[in-house]
Amino acid sequence: MAVAYLVLVGLPMLGLLGILEAGRNISAALAIGGDWNLEFAADPQCASGSATLRQPALSISQSGREAQITLNDGHATTLPAILNGNVVSAKLLTATVTGKPESRTIEGRISLAGCAPVAFRAVRASPQKRGE
Amino acid sequence: MPNLFHLVLQIAAILMAARVVGFLFQKINQPQVIGEMVAGILLGPSLLGWVAPGVSAALFPPQSLGYLNALSQIGLVVFMFVVGLALDPTELKGYGHAAVLTSHVSIVAPFCLGGLTALYLYPRLSDDGVTFSGFALFMGSAMSITAFPVLARILSERGLVRSRMGTLAIACAAVDDITGWCILAYIVVLVRVTQAGRPAWVTMSGSLLYVLTMIFVVRRFLPAFERAYRKRDRLSDNLVAVIVILLLASALATEWLGIHLLFGAFLMGAIMPKTPDFTRYLLHKFESVIVVLLLPLFFAFTGLRTRIGVGGGSAVWFYSALVIVVAITGKLGGSMLAARLSGMPWRDSAALGVLMNTRGLMELVILNIGLDIGVISPAMFSIMVLMALVTTFMTTPLLEWIYPSRLLQAQVNEIHKNVA
Repeated sequence: MAVAYLVLVGLPMLGLLGILEAGRNISAALAIGGDWNLEFAADPQCASGSATLRQPALSISQSGREAQITLNDGHATTLPAILNGNVVSAKLLTATVTGKPESRTIEGRISLAGCAPVAFRAVRASPQKRGE
Repeated sequence: MPNLFHLVLQIAAILMAARVVGFLFQKINQPQVIGEMVAGILLGPSLLGWVAPGVSAALFPPQSLGYLNALSQIGLVVFMFVVGLALDPTELKGYGHAAVLTSHVSIVAPFCLGGLTALYLYPRLSDDGVTFSGFALFMGSAMSITAFPVLARILSERGLVRSRMGTLAIACAAVDDITGWCILAYIVVLVRVTQAGRPAWVTMSGSLLYVLTMIFVVRRFLPAFERAYRKRDRLSDNLVAVIVILLLASALATEWLGIHLLFGAFLMGAIMPKTPDFTRYLLHKFESVIVVLLLPLFFAFTGLRTRIGVGGGSAVWFYSALVIVVAITGKLGGSMLAARLSGMPWRDSAALGVLMNTRGLMELVILNIGLDIGVISPAMFSIMVLMALVTTFMTTPLLEWIYPSRLLQAQVNEIHKNVA
């Protein structure tokens, strides 16, 4: 019984330690999930007045390299996005992700409905929270 | 102000779906609770949101889900108290090496395989906001959990509670539950400490102090409830309210310490006096409102966060199949092998493995915690929910295949003869 315990419990525990050690060298996609406030470099030039984005302007739900960006524009416009390295690409948005997870920013250009593309900088509105 | 009309409409729709699907599942010899879990998934984006997005958006607008979540969380707090209440540590005594080996292997094997799978899934379904060790340990603990309440219900329905295999399964599931929740508490502390920037030793020492206080101080006063029950064969409403307040205080303590509400609720239930009739009385007092009203809300809330097969393409189906195979191999295979090495016949060992593989709603509880603290992504959450459904659904038919009713009846008759 002692041998069985050693083989079936002890060895796998050692294996787990090895797995945790091996995993330290694996890198995952940059974390962009959560709510983001947008700052525009200039007022978006829109056909009918100004753009109607409320803060937090972006809500991002992320699973690995794939993400879903929801605009807080009153219609909850949803954009599937893909993360390649530090570049986020979606239908209306292209941006670069910089910084460590806790002080991360997203900078790029966004095309809001009826507006000319405009440069933006996004900072986290709240700590990363993906369960909503 | 909550939109009460919306909330009441949601509750009515959820209860109706839970009852109907639960009834249909009973018709195919599945426990009703599995049907209720499936009903929750059907109300979410995996089915209703997919075939009738307009109806789904009207019934479950995102801004209304906070109230539904709050109600389901209250239900879960009471449910975890009930799970702790039903757990009797004396069940662990007297099973010797077989229980120790089987229960430990049934945790370690799926845990290690979960960690191994994390090596493959971490770069694909996670991000650098979560450390590999947090992700791997969570995967391991989510793979190794057993649904103690569902397992007990299946054993009871099949008259196996007093068989050797049944008692061993209950003992192993109890060990699994306690170990699984301890590991999960550690992971939650690990992740939350990283997020909050609070030193780990503060949370760790606070948690240890809390557990010791509960076991060595609070538990001493709890037999007073049992004595009050003995006097009148019931508890007054005031005393039931005191139990609820103690339960909520314990839940708040663990939440404040940075673990999770549910751990406090579980521990409060676990340290309650375990005299069978007193436990039965309390279970009866709490269970009906949880089972009929609050758990279906939790299942629905889980379903609304689950997107089975929505987006991700064929890769997601491959990841799902991988997780399901790994979960079954680790839990069913590990428990079966350990039971066999402990001297149980192959048939009993296989049945034990099948029972231990039941993950049920305990898995959903853990997965929701994982999603809330951000240690798993929405896609990983959906994959693991699918795994929980498959492993729970397969239990009854597999058990019937391994232990046909005629063999079962013979064993039950023998148990009755021995008891007589």
